[in-house]
Order: sequence, then structure tokens, then C-alpha cells
Amino acid sequence: MRTMIGALLLSSLLAAQDTRTHTLSNGMKVIVQEDHGIPNVAMYFFYRIGSRNERPGTTGLSHFFEHMMFNGAKKYGPKQFDKMMDNNGGNNNAYTSRDVTVYTDWFPSTALELMFDMEADRIRDLAFDPKIIESERGVVYSERRLSVDNSNGGMLSELANATAFLAHPYHWPVVGWPSDIESWTMDDLRAHWSMGYAPNNCVMVIVGDVHYDNVLELARKYLEPIPRHDPPPPVRTKEPEQQGERRVTLSKPAQLPIQMVLYHVPETNNPDTPVLELMATLLTRGQSSRLYKRLVDTEQLALSVGAFSGDSLDPAVFMFNIQPRSGVDPAATEKALFEELARLQAEEVPAGELRKAKNQILANLYRQLKTIEGRANLLGSYEIFHGDYAKLFTADKDIEAVTAADLQRVARRYFTPKNRTVATLVPERQEVKQ
Amino acid sequence: MKPLALALALCASLPAQVKLPPYTREALPNGVVVYQMQRTGLPLVSFRVLIKGGVESEPAALAGLSSVTAALLERGTAQRTAAQFAEEIDGLGGTFNSTADEQSTVIAAEFLKKDFDRGIALVADAILHPAFPEEEVRKTLARRADAIKAMKDNPAAAINSYYRSFFFGSAHPYGRVPDEASMDRIRRDDIAGYHQRMYVGRNLIVIVAGDFDPAAAKARVAETFGAAPAGGAYAWVEDLPPAPGAAPRVLLIDKPDATQTYFIIAQPGVRRSTPDRVPLTLVNTLFGGRFTSMLNEELRINTGLTYGANARVEMARLTGGIAISTYTKTETTARAIDLSLEILKRLQEKGLTAEQLASAKAYLKGTFPPQRVQTADQIATVLGEMELFGLGHDEVDQFFSRVDAVTLQQANEVARRYYRVENPTFVLLGNASKIRDVAAKYAPKIVERSVKQPGWSGL
Repeated sequence: MRTMIGALLLSSLLAAQDTRTHTLSNGMKVIVQEDHGIPNVAMYFFYRIGSRNERPGTTGLSHFFEHMMFNGAKKYGPKQFDKMMDNNGGNNNAYTSRDVTVYTDWFPSTALELMFDMEADRIRDLAFDPKIIESERGVVYSERRLSVDNSNGGMLSELANATAFLAHPYHWPVVGWPSDIESWTMDDLRAHWSMGYAPNNCVMVIVGDVHYDNVLELARKYLEPIPRHDPPPPVRTKEPEQQGERRVTLSKPAQLPIQMVLYHVPETNNPDTPVLELMATLLTRGQSSRLYKRLVDTEQLALSVGAFSGDSLDPAVFMFNIQPRSGVDPAATEKALFEELARLQAEEVPAGELRKAKNQILANLYRQLKTIEGRANLLGSYEIFHGDYAKLFTADKDIEAVTAADLQRVARRYFTPKNRTVATLVPERQEVKQ
Repeated sequence: MKPLALALALCASLPAQVKLPPYTREALPNGVVVYQMQRTGLPLVSFRVLIKGGVESEPAALAGLSSVTAALLERGTAQRTAAQFAEEIDGLGGTFNSTADEQSTVIAAEFLKKDFDRGIALVADAILHPAFPEEEVRKTLARRADAIKAMKDNPAAAINSYYRSFFFGSAHPYGRVPDEASMDRIRRDDIAGYHQRMYVGRNLIVIVAGDFDPAAAKARVAETFGAAPAGGAYAWVEDLPPAPGAAPRVLLIDKPDATQTYFIIAQPGVRRSTPDRVPLTLVNTLFGGRFTSMLNEELRINTGLTYGANARVEMARLTGGIAISTYTKTETTARAIDLSLEILKRLQEKGLTAEQLASAKAYLKGTFPPQRVQTADQIATVLGEMELFGLGHDEVDQFFSRVDAVTLQQANEVARRYYRVENPTFVLLGNASKIRDVAAKYAPKIVERSVKQPGWSGL
């Protein structure tokens, strides 16, 4: 379509921000981007450990550790990490995915040295207090009740992934199966921590009001003395190719149905990834997207429709998430989705529509660069999932390079009936008490 | 106490006060107030347009009228069909979001710098010349009615609607929560009439922030928004402070398949313009506003009863509530509620220490820059609040010294005044057959309804 967002703009913008890196002698990689716009810092630690590094009986352990890392180490005891951050004007969070556990610290630059000291303490000397572990088990189970057991979308998503993956660890939920949450042992915890939290299994990203030389000095003082040790062993299991459509139904009290349709696709660091990103955009992003127009607007079959793949180290799934309207048979939303996917296979996407989707993705990339936390997250994610943070600087070129023929090829390759899983939440009939 | 000594040493140099970047404010002849704030770096420009009124300006029977009107702005204009409008926004890689809050309709749009002219033309067309096609009106209302139903599948969100309805009551604009029935009552004429009455020069605030040419922007804003009819200024309603209850009240919502109970414990609070805002924000930070707050420490960290417990102080134009909010497994409902009440009582009776207050001050100041003045659109939000609530730029420029000026005595006085233990309003959502007896402990009479019933009203 009409206007094109300059393809060279992104790399020049990012290059101007002067990203510098260093690998400590213990193997921890440090990525630093100075930005003195506000007197604050985003400090992110990406550990290459997630639910894919678990096994039956210990599912959810990586996520449990995300919690335990805030419960005390040797120098800074229970509650101290959070209290010290609060006292110094900082705050934090953390997230766990199938592939990584990420710790996100935001604080005034005056607290930089304290943060190095506290992070080093918990990476090196995490405490394992049985009483705290029992209490935290309750917290994690509550999180599961919130995000899965009492969430229709959460419950269906868990079932859908468990159906699409039979062998690979993406089969189980990041939060863990309930019985595993209830029965992890101290030995499980120690073993998991020792492999996950090796400095050589970590990338640290710092963006904000810092000076590179000062960051390196602090990293050498606090982090470099932590000895390297064995990272998690490689994940051996590969998901066998799916040989036919899988269907699964969840039946529970609900006002409206939900439908999820999953197709197996490659891992993030694969040339088809930008093509799939464009596919998700032209199908579901914005009110002019194909599926919004058809399902939500014209035919009024759905309340919402989304498409997601998400970063992954191993081959994963591309998921459509549809909320059918009340009174609409999910068979109707499904049929409309399949027809639109068939159209992508049969006809090349017009040039104007391709241009539009590219512009949406590129503008969205800029938006993620607005904040120090957005940039810290992008740099770390590219380093982990694309193998090199610098690939972020050419992300615009990778998007620009995608052709209509690529879209057609990728649609034909992955969006096949044999390769899909259809999961549907069917509301149970319920009598209404007036 | 080695760690503490280190903290004090590292506290020695606190960051300096952040300031608002330079901006301009001018009023056009038709009453539109225009702000411009330039910031280079990323080639993006934000438009933030506010229309005074919001939820409080809705007719009593038409709850949701302001947000339905906002949603329809991009569904067809005098010049463009809904499909054309969407094609143009998406084609530019732009964003266009329109919603309504308690006191305003908010349109936030963002474009690349080079698309400034096309961007402002789209934004102005949607805001000033919507066509409200009958078919789009019908589709939007029907979809919203379904979305209201779907919300009941999400207890964490639904409890807030039940709370608003029960706490404020139907005589208060904040207590009239959009439901299936109000969606059914709204007609195209109501929407067009609301737009004609409210979307006028005297009610409009236009903020341009980011990377743009100020002279050209001034001309474009004058051509577009300057041409809107001046109209009549919206007359704000009188404050209707929720009265402290004469007895505790309980609303129990039955969701038979729930495995945990969600609850809110509320009491009357303040409005945005209260002089107590800074000390109250400090007190609430410590009580329930951050991870190490008294509530979260007791209910999550010490006891493992929940994944999260918090308290919020509503700060809209009219007086709102102060609400404790959390969830716990069905079996520990009573324990979690009792513990929440105990923490409330402890704050009321014992107040805060100097050390706690110092920590809250550091926290508010340290988290302020990334949340409020980091990006052009954040600054646009701040400028909009300044205009809407009649605040000065010292809202940002003096923020640190205002925080520093709060004494322990002031903070404790505010804690005693607002965190009362008498006669709270309770809202519980869970498996009623298992928690009905628990709920009965907290009030002489409980109101019960089912999540399966339409609407939110507990009366």
C-alpha cells in the first residue's frame, strides 16, 4: 500500500544507541545500552531455563524458582530483596516461559551497586528454607487457581497445548500440574536451581542511566567471581510430526464458548518466523485485518479473534484464539477461519495488503523502543531466541524481505488439516435462577 | 543488621527531581484547549484528545453511552466508511484507541512523524464527524452486550463491576455499570445526541506530543479542531460522596464452579482533587500498593494464602472508594478476610513508623520517572490530567518535594482518617454453598445473587 516505512530507519536508530557487550570469564554475557533520558535503569537477567527443562513429576519447578529467588539468600535474607529495592525507589517482577526465566529490575541509577550485590547474592547463595518453601507452594497454587483453574481461557489453553504436544516438554503447562506443585521435594529444588542458575546460562541486559565502564566494573566485582557450572542438559525429545487433526473439548459452566486452533510451526530462530508474524498481523491485527473483518464485523460470529506464536527455542505452535458470540456454534467460527486460511493458500496476498501489514509491524517495533524496559526486553529476547541481540537491528530488513509468495508457501506448509489441533470450550447448560 | 547499613550508605545520593519538558498551552477561539509538547528521538507523534464528561455525564438509564459513543467514532464518518477508516489507520501503522472513564472520553492515537498530516486528519474526522451508521450502532451494542456476559466467565474482572454497582448504588453515576439491559436501551439518537452535545469546542482538550513541527502542528490543529462548534461547556455534577455505612453490608455472588473466593472490602475515600492525595498515596503504598505492602506481606509472603493482595484508592473526579482486593482458595476464605480486617485495624490503631514512611517516599520518587515522564504519550497523559483536574505543572516539577514534605504525623493522621474499621462494604464472589456461612459473619444481612443472572446490581 501507499506509504512505506523507511527500511533503513530502524538500524540507524538502534545503532545510534550504542549497544556494547562483554562476556565475563564465568560465561555470563553482559549487554549494555546507555540512555540518560530519565534517571532510571532497567536491569534484566535472562536464564535459559524454563518448563522445557523439566520432566514429569517436576513440572512447574522453573516457575516455582521464579518465586523462590525473592525469598532470601545468604547476605540478604527473606523479604530483604524486595524491601531493599523499595527503600531505594526500585521495583521488580519476573516471568517464566517454556524456555526462559527472566528477572526484571527497575530502579533509580543511584541503586545500581546495590542491585549488583543483591542479584549476585541470590544467584550464588540462594537459601532453601523448608518453611518458606511450603508457604510459597501455597502462593504458586493460588496463582494456578487464578490463571488456570478459574480462567476458562487458561484452562482451555492448557488442554490445547497438552493435546498438540505429545512428546515434547511443551506438552505441560509452565505453572505445572497441580499434583507436581503439591509434591516437589527439596532434592528436586536443589538440582533444578543448580543447573538453571549457572552464570554461563545467563544473559544480563542493562538499559538506562548508566555508564558502560561502571557497569563492567560492577559486573567484574559482583558477578564474575561466581563460578561457572553445568547448564541444563540439552532437551533431547523432539515432537513427532503430527499425522492428523486432533480435537478436544472442555465442558464447563460458562457464558460463552472459546475456541483455540493450533498449528505446529518452527522455532523462533527460523527463516519462516517473520513470514508467520506477517501472517498473524494481516489476519488479526487491527480492524482492517481479514479475520476481524469477517468474524467480528461482517458476519458477527465472534467477540474477538487473535493469533499468537510467541518466542520459542524448539518448534512450537501458531495459535488462533477465538471467542464465539453467544448463540454461535463454534463450528461456524471454525469454518470461517479455515476458509480464510485456504484463501491464503490459494491466492497471493495483494501488494497493498502486504505493505499495510509490514507497516504495522515496523511501527510496532518502534513503539517497543520507547521505554528502557521495552528495549531491555527486546535485546535480551533477540539474544536468546534469535541467537544474537544484533539481529534486532536488522529485524526491519527481515520483515521487508518477505514476499507474497513466501506467505503463500508458508500458509500451504503449516496451515494443513493434518497439522492442526482444535480445542473448544463448550458451555454446560445451566438453569438460570431469577 | 549489615544489609540495612549498606542500604543507608547507598541511599546517600537520591536522584534529582524530574521536570516536565517545555510545552505550550493555548485556547482556540471555539474553546478547544491545545497542548503541544515536542520530544525528538523516536519518529513518532501522539495525539491525545479528551472530551469532558465521561461516565458522570451519562443519562441514568443509559449506562455505557459515553464508551459506546467513543467506540463508534472509528466506525464510519462523513468522509469514510468504517472499512476505509480502518484501512487507513492500519496502513500507516498507526493506532487509534477510544474509551471513556469516570470524567472524560479519551482518544489516544499514534502515528509516524512523517504521517502527521494524515494522522491528524483521521483523528479529527473520527472525533468531529462520526456518522454513527445504524448498522454499526446495532453491531456495536450487540457485541458489547455479549462482552458483558463474557466478563462473568472471568471472576477477577467481574468482581469489580459487582463492587461498583453495590458500593456506589444506582443513584450514583459510578454505580450504574453498563449491562445487557442498558445496551438494549441505547438508541442511535441517544448516541448522536450525546456526541452533538458533548463533543464541542468548550469540552475538548487536544494534546500533541512527540516528534513534530510545532508551527505546522499549530496550523493543522486550528484547521481541524478549531472548526468544531463551540457549543456549551459541560456542567460537572456535584460530588456525591458515598456515605459511611450505618452497618456492614455484604454482597455474595454465587459461582458454583469457583475453586477460590474473590473478595473486596471497601469504604468511602477521596476524590482526585483532595489535598490529602500525596500523604494518602504514601500511606496506601505501605498498606496495599506494592509487593512488600502490609496486605501482600501478610496474605502472600507470610501465609501463602494468595498470589496477591492489594488496596487501591480511587481518584476520580467524584469521591470514590478505598478497596482491599484479593482472592484465596474456598477453604481459607474466612481466614483471608479476617486477616485483611486485622491488618486494617493494625494500621488504624498503630499507624506507621518513620522508617516505613521513608521507604514509601523513596519508592514513589523512584518509580515516578519511568511511569509518568518517560515517553511522549505518558507526558500527554499527565498534561491531560492537569487540564481536566485543574492542576499546575508543579504536579510533576514539585512532585519530589511534595513527597518529601509529608511528615510522619500527617501520614498517620491520614491513615487514621481514611482506613477505618467500622461498617465496611464486602463483596464476595465464589461458591456460595461453601462460603454462605462465612459471609454471614460479616454483616447482619447478606444480599445474594448468581453470576448467571444478567446485570450487576445487588439491590
